[in-house]
Amino acid sequence: MTLGSHLTPLARDHIEQADVVFAALSDHIVEMWLQRMNQDVRSLQPYYAEGKSRLKTYKEWVDLMMAEVRAGKRVCAVFYGHPGIFAWSTHKAIEVARAEGFQAFMEPGISAEDCLYADLGIDPGRFSCQHFEASQLLFYEHRINPAGYVVLWQTSVVGDWSLMRLETGPAYRQLLVDRLSQDYPLDHEVIIYYGATLPIEQAKIRRLTLRDLSDTTLAPQETVVLAPAAPLRPNLPMRERLAELDKAIGFA
Amino acid sequence: MADTIEWLETIGKNAALRRAPAEKLAETLEATDATAALKAAVKSQDRSALFAELGHKPVRMHNMNGPSHPEEPDHDHDEHAPTRPPRPDQDQPSRDR
Repeated sequence: MTLGSHLTPLARDHIEQADVVFAALSDHIVEMWLQRMNQDVRSLQPYYAEGKSRLKTYKEWVDLMMAEVRAGKRVCAVFYGHPGIFAWSTHKAIEVARAEGFQAFMEPGISAEDCLYADLGIDPGRFSCQHFEASQLLFYEHRINPAGYVVLWQTSVVGDWSLMRLETGPAYRQLLVDRLSQDYPLDHEVIIYYGATLPIEQAKIRRLTLRDLSDTTLAPQETVVLAPAAPLRPNLPMRERLAELDKAIGFA
Repeated sequence: MADTIEWLETIGKNAALRRAPAEKLAETLEATDATAALKAAVKSQDRSALFAELGHKPVRMHNMNGPSHPEEPDHDHDEHAPTRPPRPDQDQPSRDR
């Protein structure tokens, strides 16, 4: 989400009409921009703390928002990107508010995913596209399809169970490389993507090989993308069934 | 007279400015009342040039859009938690904000 470019007219109107605006934004400067739209913008940043579980922080955020809702205020929470993507507190606040009889809803936003498709020229419909939170790829037995694109989020904290660390190191990224090497050759290209949040910046795109990923420091805002490494394989039995179905309904 | 935040918004919503090469944008701003800090940031393609004017507060970004732990691990009680399938009614943060 880029300052000035990606705030929808509807979202802006919600912000301007709110009594209280809570903000979890990508950037201090973006927060300053938000402050121009409403007199009562409250940053959620101070609730993060070193050594404090983010789980606790997110629950506090829900409590903060709900306290104002219960006080009869019109509350708007502004989260960078899309407020419903990789965001627990927004979904939870809406759920709690509705359960208590308040009207609550979410407006979509332009996320890093959206920017990534545009900046990298990727169409997820061409070969298909899987998204994984990088840690999940280690914690669970997900199946990767190397015939499509794969996007890995939050690789800078891959392997962190605690929700307390700001980053994990090369040894953790090496485990990710080990997992990915089950589906990709080590010389497969990996794209590191950073979407611009200020309009004086452009997207930053780095390319390296999978084997070099473990020794590459990643910023929290950076996303890892793997292009397809294998051709799409025709599903012949299903194609035959489709042909039979087409014939049966008189389409073919 | 527009201040830097207003200039950033203007650049962000102006198709010609937003996609202009840095040198071209810098040229355009040179003839305006934009601050020296903004002009320097555009010229150098480095946002840190704005910090002197706007301040610098590092922001935590636990992902521009966050982790996904479908359930919170409970290391004390279930050492196999990481491989347990998520519960449909799970009520723990699965994302990072």
